[in-house]
Amino acid sequence: MAASSTRAPETAAGRAGRWGLTALAVGGFVYLFVPIAVIVGYSFNKPRGKFNIIWQELTLDNWKDPFAPGPLTDAMYLSLKIAAIAAIAATVLGSLIALALVRYRFKGGTLVNLLLVLPLTTPEIVMGSSLATLFITRGVQRGFTTIVIAHVLFCTSFVALTVKARIRGFDWTLEDAAMDLGATPWRTFSRVTLPLITPGILAAALLSFALSIDDFIITFFNAGAEETFPLRIFGASRVEISPQINVLATIVLVVSVTLMLLGALVRRRQT
Amino acid sequence: MAGRDAADDGDRSKRRAGLVPYALLSPGMLWLLLFFLVPLVTLARTSLSEKESRFAVDADFTWHIANFTDALRDYSDQFIRSFAYAGAATLLCVAIGYPMAYVIAFRGGRFKNVLLGLVVVPFFTSFLIRTLAWQTVLFDSGPILSVLDSLSLVGVLERIGVARNGGLLQTHASVIGGLTYNFLPFMILPIYVSLEKIDLRLTEAAKDLYNNGWQAFRKVVLPLSLPGVFAGGLLTFIPAAGDFVNARFLGGPNNTMIGSVVQDRFLVQLDYPTAAALSFILMVIITLATLVYARILGTDDLV
Amino acid sequence: MTLSHPARPRRSPRGGPILDRRQLLGRLGVLAGAGVVGPALLAACGDDDDGDTGGGGGASKDLWFANWPAYIDEETVDLFTEASGISLKYTEDYNDNNEYFAKVQADLAAGRSIGPDIIAPTYWLAARLITLGWVQEIPFDDIPNASNLLPELQKPAWDPEGKFSLPWQSGMTGLAYNISATGRELTSMNDLFDPAFKGKVGMLTEMRDTLGLVMLLTGEDPGSATMDSANPAFEKIEEAKASGHIRQFTGNDYMDDLAAGNFAVCVGWSGDIGQLALDNPDLRFAIPEEGGMRWSDTMVLPNGAENVANAAVWMDYVYDPENAARIAEYVGYNSPVAGVREILAAGDDFQKALSESPLLFPDDATNARLHVFASLDEDAEAAFDERFSQIVGA
Repeated sequence: MAASSTRAPETAAGRAGRWGLTALAVGGFVYLFVPIAVIVGYSFNKPRGKFNIIWQELTLDNWKDPFAPGPLTDAMYLSLKIAAIAAIAATVLGSLIALALVRYRFKGGTLVNLLLVLPLTTPEIVMGSSLATLFITRGVQRGFTTIVIAHVLFCTSFVALTVKARIRGFDWTLEDAAMDLGATPWRTFSRVTLPLITPGILAAALLSFALSIDDFIITFFNAGAEETFPLRIFGASRVEISPQINVLATIVLVVSVTLMLLGALVRRRQT
Repeated sequence: MAGRDAADDGDRSKRRAGLVPYALLSPGMLWLLLFFLVPLVTLARTSLSEKESRFAVDADFTWHIANFTDALRDYSDQFIRSFAYAGAATLLCVAIGYPMAYVIAFRGGRFKNVLLGLVVVPFFTSFLIRTLAWQTVLFDSGPILSVLDSLSLVGVLERIGVARNGGLLQTHASVIGGLTYNFLPFMILPIYVSLEKIDLRLTEAAKDLYNNGWQAFRKVVLPLSLPGVFAGGLLTFIPAAGDFVNARFLGGPNNTMIGSVVQDRFLVQLDYPTAAALSFILMVIITLATLVYARILGTDDLV
Repeated sequence: MTLSHPARPRRSPRGGPILDRRQLLGRLGVLAGAGVVGPALLAACGDDDDGDTGGGGGASKDLWFANWPAYIDEETVDLFTEASGISLKYTEDYNDNNEYFAKVQADLAAGRSIGPDIIAPTYWLAARLITLGWVQEIPFDDIPNASNLLPELQKPAWDPEGKFSLPWQSGMTGLAYNISATGRELTSMNDLFDPAFKGKVGMLTEMRDTLGLVMLLTGEDPGSATMDSANPAFEKIEEAKASGHIRQFTGNDYMDDLAAGNFAVCVGWSGDIGQLALDNPDLRFAIPEEGGMRWSDTMVLPNGAENVANAAVWMDYVYDPENAARIAEYVGYNSPVAGVREILAAGDDFQKALSESPLLFPDDATNARLHVFASLDEDAEAAFDERFSQIVGA
């Protein structure tokens, strides 16, 4: 390492710059959490009207029965269902693509990469409206199936690229070693390859799940009469913004943070 | 900057195994083909079609170029606004996100993952809910305006166009602010990734070479992080340009974006041909820009 | 960008109204010399009933009614099921006329069922559905109580034969304003365009309501609107929007803005103000001196709906004045059923006060000043929607 004695001492300006930078970053984090604070805070609000926008008074009522039957809860369940199916399908499809790209040499790799990246660089409104146009002109009724189709579509790209990035650096000679030792290709795959790529795949699956739950624009065009959670919020937003939305959002937040922390803890244990 | 598969060609661990890769690829690729490419073809076809009547479901393909020319003429305002808003939001994201990524990468130490987690956590709430939360915050009787009022800053803000008629909502600034917020992690993460890859010894050497941190940054770190900035820029600009949710919740009738128009054309006026033409124009403009970047960087580096 | 619907009394997340005490009416309206209707207060009635009339009612689908949110009290659905034995699925996923139409258009055009047996579109969408032949005839022979329909709503412009629709609720559109923000009482649409209120004015995304009122201001009759006669009104609105005079085009979401004083005045709906004014006496509703608009949300049976017989039973049930009175008490708009006023007048103090409210039961003079927007044919409607959507910015 370079000897620090050859370095010029830090100037006052330099130190100010460093502190400024840190302050800026801290400010950035605060900025990121302003709406979160509002969302959580307003889940304790008792709005006077039908729109939970102006703070009135503190109440715990909203939290007493967050999963009360109602359109919002139904929408949430629908979103969860769709996300689960889409995540599984997209993870399978995407991981296969990633495996092919990373492990094999073949003609058309560039094209495949391009086709994977294109959905990411196409605005959602274009993807949503084009898919809807296809369904309309082909007479396919828009609903649950079309939503799943749409979600698997954009999630597959994310999965493929994420898994690809994760598994690129691995030492694939392990596979060869296993085969040399007499393992069948299937055994090699399940005992050597799979454990190596599983973390990457899981990460991609989680990403898909999150993307699917939150998707709005593409779903908006392709949902027909179904209402996912974001669609319900949007649809009802001209008429009401209920505190239940805040409550459910806070619950989702808490659950995701917990899962994340657990994941981090597990990883720390492993290393 | 890696080329496309150049790195792979030299990778001896890659196999040539005949049809196996194609077998692995086919389900996914088929899906993309069927539900991404084919719809785009349908979109192109519809954009050149005309509908007999408003409530007809099908449009007749008649090479109706007027859809495009009319769309560009009628909605030029919204196009310009969309790109302006998206551009402004992207620049703001860089301005806010770069320092954050830098601090996480170089000052994070043991807490890097925690900090990254903190960046991502807000985005576990729904995009719509976050935007609604901003509406709550910026509301006329909300906290921010009250603070600004007590500091007498509202007049200043009105003069520079951030506030309007004493309010923060239904302005250009509020929509740009919403876009910036919603796409910030898409800027932070790629920049972080590229900063993270920089060999620490380079930064050390830079600090020795240059008298102050700023020079070291400008000459060494910044150029190395540019791929991340570009990637983040794309991931921010593109979805922002096509968004309509922020405009709907935070903007007024003079702040609508092209996404709002497409949504209205498609779902309200049932004018599929024009909606298709608009989508197509948007996509072409954006894809061209993307391909330019992809040429420079190589698609591998985008993720 | 569309949306048209009037809101209903506030509901807690569990579906019961937020106000859990019965409140007496505070004030009644006073008819000013210029024929302006003053404020009348309605209470959002309600018990602490936890009953939920929102979605998810019952797995079996003897009947499915997809309605606007908060458009029914909490008891009627259950009472109906008890009385008739028909299990009613009552959902509130009808948020916006245009968005709903877009959702179901492809199915109806292809002759497929859309799910619900009954929907309650606003009158102009009902007209469109009837013209397109996408709704079935209502079996009025099985609905004796349909004779209770108010005469002025029989054989309306949107359903000239009177065979395809039966109104759910009616209402009035006029000026909704916050007197502490305006500083004075408002009586005319000119007040809406008063430069003093620049940037604090709202209008509805519901084209016919907004355009209709402005047309009355420009001296035209919305009941016989053509593109030519509507043009001055369109231009007036457009100018106001471009100059920033109009802050936003809203659905029901004008109410909180109004209550907070962010809007000084908006085009608004009668029932909304009645409810809000309870808490906030600064909120007023006035039919402009030039005239106001009357609208209806009307029940229709989409093609492919299977449970037509059950639908008839439901319609008969809600047209019984007793049931209609219960619904009207909660909803706060104008019931289309005759005899509701008398029932409320014979009730407790609160109901009696409701029966005297000019917002719920406008008198003949007021009714005479209300207009219904013309039924537009497909081309005219497309032209109007285009023009309006250019202004609203979408």
